Amino acid sequence: MSERKRERAVKLNVINQPKDSYTGGPSSLCPGCGHDQISNVIISAAWENGVEPHRIAKMSGIGCSSKTPAYYLGQSHGFNTVHGRMPSVTTGAYAINKDLLYLGVSGDGDSASIGIGQLIHAIRRNMNMVYIIENNGVYGLTKGQYSATADVGSKKRKGATNEIQPIDLCALAINLGCTFVARSFSGSRRQLTSILRAAMSHKGFALIDVISPCVTFNNNDESMKSYGYVKDNEVTLHMTDYIPHFDPMEEVEVPEGHYRDITLHDGSTIRLETISDEHDPSDAMAALSALHDAETNKKHVTGLLYFDSSKPSLDEDLDLVDSPLLDLEDSEIRPSKESLEALNAEFFS
Amino acid sequence: MDAIVNDFTLNIATANGTGSQSANLILLDSLFEMGVPVSGKNLFPSNISGLPTWYILRLSEKGYQAPGDRTHIQILVNPATWEEDIEALEPGSIIIWNSDTKKKTVEREDIISYPVPMTSMARKINPKLAKLVTNIIYVGVVAELLGIDQKCLEEAVTKQFKGKASAIELNIQALESGREYCIENLTKNDPFIVEKRERHNQQFFIEGNEAVALGSIYGGCQMLAWYPITPSSSIAEGIIAYIPRLRTDEDGKTNLAVIQAEDELAAAGMVIGAGWAGGRGMTATSGPGISLMQEFIGLAYFAEVPSVFWDVNRVGPSTGLPTRTQQSDISMLYEGSHGDTQHIVLIPGTVEECFEFGWMAFDCAERFQTPIFGLSDLDLGMNKWACTGFEYPDKPMDRGKVVREKDVFEAFETFGRYLDIDGDGIPYRTLPGSGMDPILYRGTGHNPMGIYSEKPDDYHNLMARLRMKIDNSRDLLPEPLMREEEDSNIGVIYLGSMENSIQEIDDILLEMGHHVNQCRVRALPFHSDVEEFIRRHKTTIVLEINRDGQLYGILRRELPNDIVTNVHSVAYSDGLPPRARIYANLIDEKLKEVNE
Repeated sequence: MSERKRERAVKLNVINQPKDSYTGGPSSLCPGCGHDQISNVIISAAWENGVEPHRIAKMSGIGCSSKTPAYYLGQSHGFNTVHGRMPSVTTGAYAINKDLLYLGVSGDGDSASIGIGQLIHAIRRNMNMVYIIENNGVYGLTKGQYSATADVGSKKRKGATNEIQPIDLCALAINLGCTFVARSFSGSRRQLTSILRAAMSHKGFALIDVISPCVTFNNNDESMKSYGYVKDNEVTLHMTDYIPHFDPMEEVEVPEGHYRDITLHDGSTIRLETISDEHDPSDAMAALSALHDAETNKKHVTGLLYFDSSKPSLDEDLDLVDSPLLDLEDSEIRPSKESLEALNAEFFS
Repeated sequence: MDAIVNDFTLNIATANGTGSQSANLILLDSLFEMGVPVSGKNLFPSNISGLPTWYILRLSEKGYQAPGDRTHIQILVNPATWEEDIEALEPGSIIIWNSDTKKKTVEREDIISYPVPMTSMARKINPKLAKLVTNIIYVGVVAELLGIDQKCLEEAVTKQFKGKASAIELNIQALESGREYCIENLTKNDPFIVEKRERHNQQFFIEGNEAVALGSIYGGCQMLAWYPITPSSSIAEGIIAYIPRLRTDEDGKTNLAVIQAEDELAAAGMVIGAGWAGGRGMTATSGPGISLMQEFIGLAYFAEVPSVFWDVNRVGPSTGLPTRTQQSDISMLYEGSHGDTQHIVLIPGTVEECFEFGWMAFDCAERFQTPIFGLSDLDLGMNKWACTGFEYPDKPMDRGKVVREKDVFEAFETFGRYLDIDGDGIPYRTLPGSGMDPILYRGTGHNPMGIYSEKPDDYHNLMARLRMKIDNSRDLLPEPLMREEEDSNIGVIYLGSMENSIQEIDDILLEMGHHVNQCRVRALPFHSDVEEFIRRHKTTIVLEINRDGQLYGILRRELPNDIVTNVHSVAYSDGLPPRARIYANLIDEKLKEVNE
């Protein structure tokens, strides 16, 4: 290693951490897997947002996607739970420690099939978490069966064309009143990073459905979730930029055309630069319409589809005390001896 | 005619959803207020309104709480079960019946009949509420016939309607109407009466589920996740009801989160999430819910996450008899989930223990870092039992081996999430958010450092340690309670709500010539005292409310070979709370068989 390289100053984020503080172990996924690109985006987004790495909880279910928490954020605790049930484990953890940033990673088998019920109910509760779906349309670990998000007319490397109607998890989420719904592509690093950074600043359930090609089983040209197909058929709603609350100057390059700034719960902003027709993310019908048009035309629409900051999140709904329940003393959670004596006396009377 | 005082059984046949439960509880409470030793059992259908319900009131000077062998006084209000209820009565029984019931009459010559035009009397008092008032009319008639104290009756009414003046007035009017009818139109020609008794110790009535709810609150429960299911819902509802009083601050904010889950799987997941995050989480369910939770139970066992599950046992398999009682989830709890597992089960037999095990479950969960099951049943959970008061936890909370401070963490020479540093099978853990020893918890194989591993030694050693960990718990769990006379060589091992029938079973066995000693198991894995109990007896019977003898099966597998053949199973279940004579007869038969 050259002297020059060694001396080069390590770039630090807003809390003086190098990016290395956010990395994890080596990936054991197939080389070129879309999921690894998403892992890298997670590392970047968390670092750029200046989240303390140990204050993140990495949550996942079962599947290729759910293995990835081992590959990023090595200083964070994580829980690789059971198939499709990450939302409930996260909900329980959240009730005890609402101050952590819950970062869930799931797949299309995990979220659209076995775990669709838990996903739906976590959305209903507006659980405060980021929920990334690494969506490739196939089951990887069991070697290439179609999942419930495989598009009609799509064909994986081996086997027949899929004729069964897919579940569009973004449309589902919008219909359920999810407060942050975005779709992106693992190959769109810039867009995905800004969306993920915005999702981390959101208070409530932030769902990001990321098309993430499976290079082994579903990356042939006949597959509608292959790199080639998505590259050629992606309809981007808007360019996205994230402007953090702690550094509003970071990416300030006011675009020439129309743009819309959306303020997030922590004061950060997501900037949506209009590309063609302006998309209004507060309009659920417009979002559903965009998804419907894309499906009809066999395209993939990406960007921030829907956003709503008005709904209470789960902790407000539960009416919990301000400090996380974890931090309470034993004497605060066990009522006094006198209170039991009073109860006994009432029962006896 | 000699009077029969405080020693008979009433059976009240009504339809559910007609308000009869209030009337029956008024009877129960007023007798209790008089000091009459009494117990009540509600046999209800899985239905909102209109199906047959029976309420059994057992009065017993000996304190027997099981339903008796026979009905002495039948109250008949429900036309749907009319004929079968009459047919079941033994000669000499009494029947108090609603003579306004269309096309129904009572024709048996060998029973004492008291017809009462309950419907028309009720209509006279309040035509709109006639259906509800009908039930109070029979309470008035029974009160007059048996001699129930009016003051105690009025107190019970006030308690039942929580001081609501209009309801109290209406009900007292109906009671009086029943009494008056009795005085003017009926001549008492039966021997059954009640008399006041001095009670030696103070007691009140409470359901097991409410006791579990309170125990859990005093155990510092921080998160309850639940999915409604009979007969466990009243545990969750009990917790919810007490939160404003016991777990809410001046600003109206609570430190006990309650989440009604979308199903039992999610409820289990939430409990595990809470435990993983460092909190005290619990759920309450019944057998079908535990069936659904199996996968998560394995995760909690293997990843070693403290978690508390209450199972209020109902009749299985499948949907079974959802409103009847059984002890049939023992094996499922003890060995829940796929693969080799073993779980700690706490088994209360009294409402006092429901409270005690309620708080203790959390200490056990955090001490042993594993799922803890509380096993109650419908009989204990949903019927009212006499309680001598709840005792405050006699020790501070045991939060187990959790490393919370940096300097403590740094003092470890080596730290691994699953490293058995103390040699007791229980490793140390750190919590999410602490930054100390961050690992990815998983249900896959792992080494002592918490890293994914498929190495044969890692797997084998991990499973051996888990077995040792649970094995080490046995003598730290609630010890069995024994009643022994030296001259007996027959032992009876039993569990849970059978506690309420065992004395009567014992007395019947004594009449048959069998002196037996008793041992009530209060936790699994078995305490070492259980083996000693078996060794002290030539023959031991394991008595349980199920078909297969599940507790017996576990014992048989775990006992040393030399005493296995001394242990025999008596298991019986028909959905009803245990009737002493049935079990006594079965034990008698078994003993004869063994001695042949």
